[in-house]
Amino acid sequence: MSFDVLERSHPISFDLSEDQIMIRDSVREFAARHIAPDVIRRDMEKTFPHEIIEMLADQGLMGIYHEEKFGGAGFDTISFCLALEEIARWDASLALTVASHTSLGSGHIALAGDEQQKTTYLVPLARGEKLAAWCLTEPGSGSDSSGLKTTAVKQGDTYLLNGAKTFITQGSVGDVYVVLAKTDPSKGTKGISAFIVEREWDGVKPGQPMHKMGMNSSDTAEVVFDQVRVPAENLLGKEGYGFIDTMKVLDGGRIGIGALSVGIARGALEESMKYAKERKQFGSSIGDFQAIEHKMVNMAVETDAARLLVMRAAWRKDQGKPFTKEASMAKLFASEIAERAALEAVQIHGGYGYTKEYHVERFLRDVKLMTIGEGTSEIQRLILARELKKEMGYME
Amino acid sequence: MIHFYVCLKQVPDVYAPLQIKDGELIQDSGRMVLNAYDASALEEALVLTEKHGGKVTAVLAGPEKAKETLRKGLAMGADEGVHIVTEEGSAYDSLYYAGLLAAFFRDKEYHFISCGKQSQDTDAGLTGSMLAQLLELPYATNAVGLTLEDNRLLVKRQGDHGQEMIELPSPGLVTCSNDMNEPRIPSLKGIMQSKKKPVETIQASSLTGDGIRSVTTLLGYEEKPKREPGQKFEGDPEELAITIAGLLDSKENLM
Repeated sequence: MSFDVLERSHPISFDLSEDQIMIRDSVREFAARHIAPDVIRRDMEKTFPHEIIEMLADQGLMGIYHEEKFGGAGFDTISFCLALEEIARWDASLALTVASHTSLGSGHIALAGDEQQKTTYLVPLARGEKLAAWCLTEPGSGSDSSGLKTTAVKQGDTYLLNGAKTFITQGSVGDVYVVLAKTDPSKGTKGISAFIVEREWDGVKPGQPMHKMGMNSSDTAEVVFDQVRVPAENLLGKEGYGFIDTMKVLDGGRIGIGALSVGIARGALEESMKYAKERKQFGSSIGDFQAIEHKMVNMAVETDAARLLVMRAAWRKDQGKPFTKEASMAKLFASEIAERAALEAVQIHGGYGYTKEYHVERFLRDVKLMTIGEGTSEIQRLILARELKKEMGYME
Repeated sequence: MIHFYVCLKQVPDVYAPLQIKDGELIQDSGRMVLNAYDASALEEALVLTEKHGGKVTAVLAGPEKAKETLRKGLAMGADEGVHIVTEEGSAYDSLYYAGLLAAFFRDKEYHFISCGKQSQDTDAGLTGSMLAQLLELPYATNAVGLTLEDNRLLVKRQGDHGQEMIELPSPGLVTCSNDMNEPRIPSLKGIMQSKKKPVETIQASSLTGDGIRSVTTLLGYEEKPKREPGQKFEGDPEELAITIAGLLDSKENLM
């Protein structure tokens, strides 16, 4: 008799594959050459960097994990996270653009779209020829996203779309909008459906870019849909399944926000290390004072821990395992430690950190979005409390 | 159809911290990169073959680990790769590598061999010229620009008295400076494709030839001597001027 029937578990590996290392190094090189030099100016002028988006598209970075046959690069979520971290290390606005374009707008089409929709819409999006905007939030429905008021009423072979969306990333520069609307207001979340809407259609009214605290060179705007006729073939996924798909899209999106947060935290640490070495007070580098050392060590430990959480969530997604809890944990932790890191980085820089001569004040303004977007920290804790109770048998 | 062979070398990342301890060089072997001069040589070959048609083969002599750098060359756009695998941890001099490459190239057909003018780690700048000598090829060094005309290479090179234009017949060899272009960054597509490109692996021990030997021996490393601190003078401007003028007058090799 043999007891050798237990399947051996896969060994845990913290090594990146050669492909993943190549992607990380390529994006790092790209960021140093094309993203870092002008980032302070872009933040101050609040300009959307179309020219950098074009270069990112050439590099294949606007559809990292989408299938090759639909214009993507065919890599995995881990590679996506590595790329986002490298971009966010310098420019969180740009990383936000890439993340939301890839995982929300394009991501929803990749998740729920049929062959025809993917060919028509996902291909140019994944190639970066067009930009996607995902329209969920409304003035009256944020965290309670199921309370949305936008309606899509079926009339023959079209849906008549009416409503106003706000805080839409790529809202004013987007070409393709994925819009969540109620097709049956009596059914609650099961009455919500998703639609692919083109910017050029009659009644699509993108607003002016909003003035924000940070993330200045990413585009955020209101979008109004006024009697827009959406062909029935642009219903994305099954009617009534829009909200279920939305929850899945958000799970994926949270991994991206986690990776972006890790990038900001790393930027805060690296800039602090550099400054602490250069800055001399009382006859030595301030980085040799224990008070500063401890700050930097805390940043390093927390950044590493956050990265591990993000990578685990990405890995689970790539393995086809459930990842709702892990994505939420990663997003919650990474965003909160990044906020701390940015705050400490400004403190280490002292008066200089308060000026726009240095990167860290931008990090602090940008990072605030991380604990808000794609589910506030409070919503993450709500999700996690539910998951925890489910796991622990708290709920009967 | 022009056929370029570009020689690549893996070198330590110049930004990685180095340490010298008891005459030994300690460096992070995890941070190895493609020699910047070779990257420029490859970029130029890619630009020329994209324009005129042709093929680029990347050749790298180095230990097993250096294969990742060859793959970077393929991800940048080289059509195929050759990895001449040398023993891990051995110290060879420039002549050894030139001899190894010469043995490889002996029976090959090509239009041009292109190398970086030197490598970022040793800065010896010898291998390219030695290789040309061993293969008895016409060659030009320190190219800052290349143009292709009827299978001849017009080499703009940085000389002591300005830029020289040199016509290099085929087959020939050119060594490239790194200020001739900005080497492309591998795209995700390039990275994906690089996995499918043919790579020939040759053990260095299987190559034979007269030149394959090191003739110099690296004895050890020592720290660069620290610069002596400057002198600081304070006081009345007039007196200072006199002091400094006196110093300028008395010290040799000043100004």
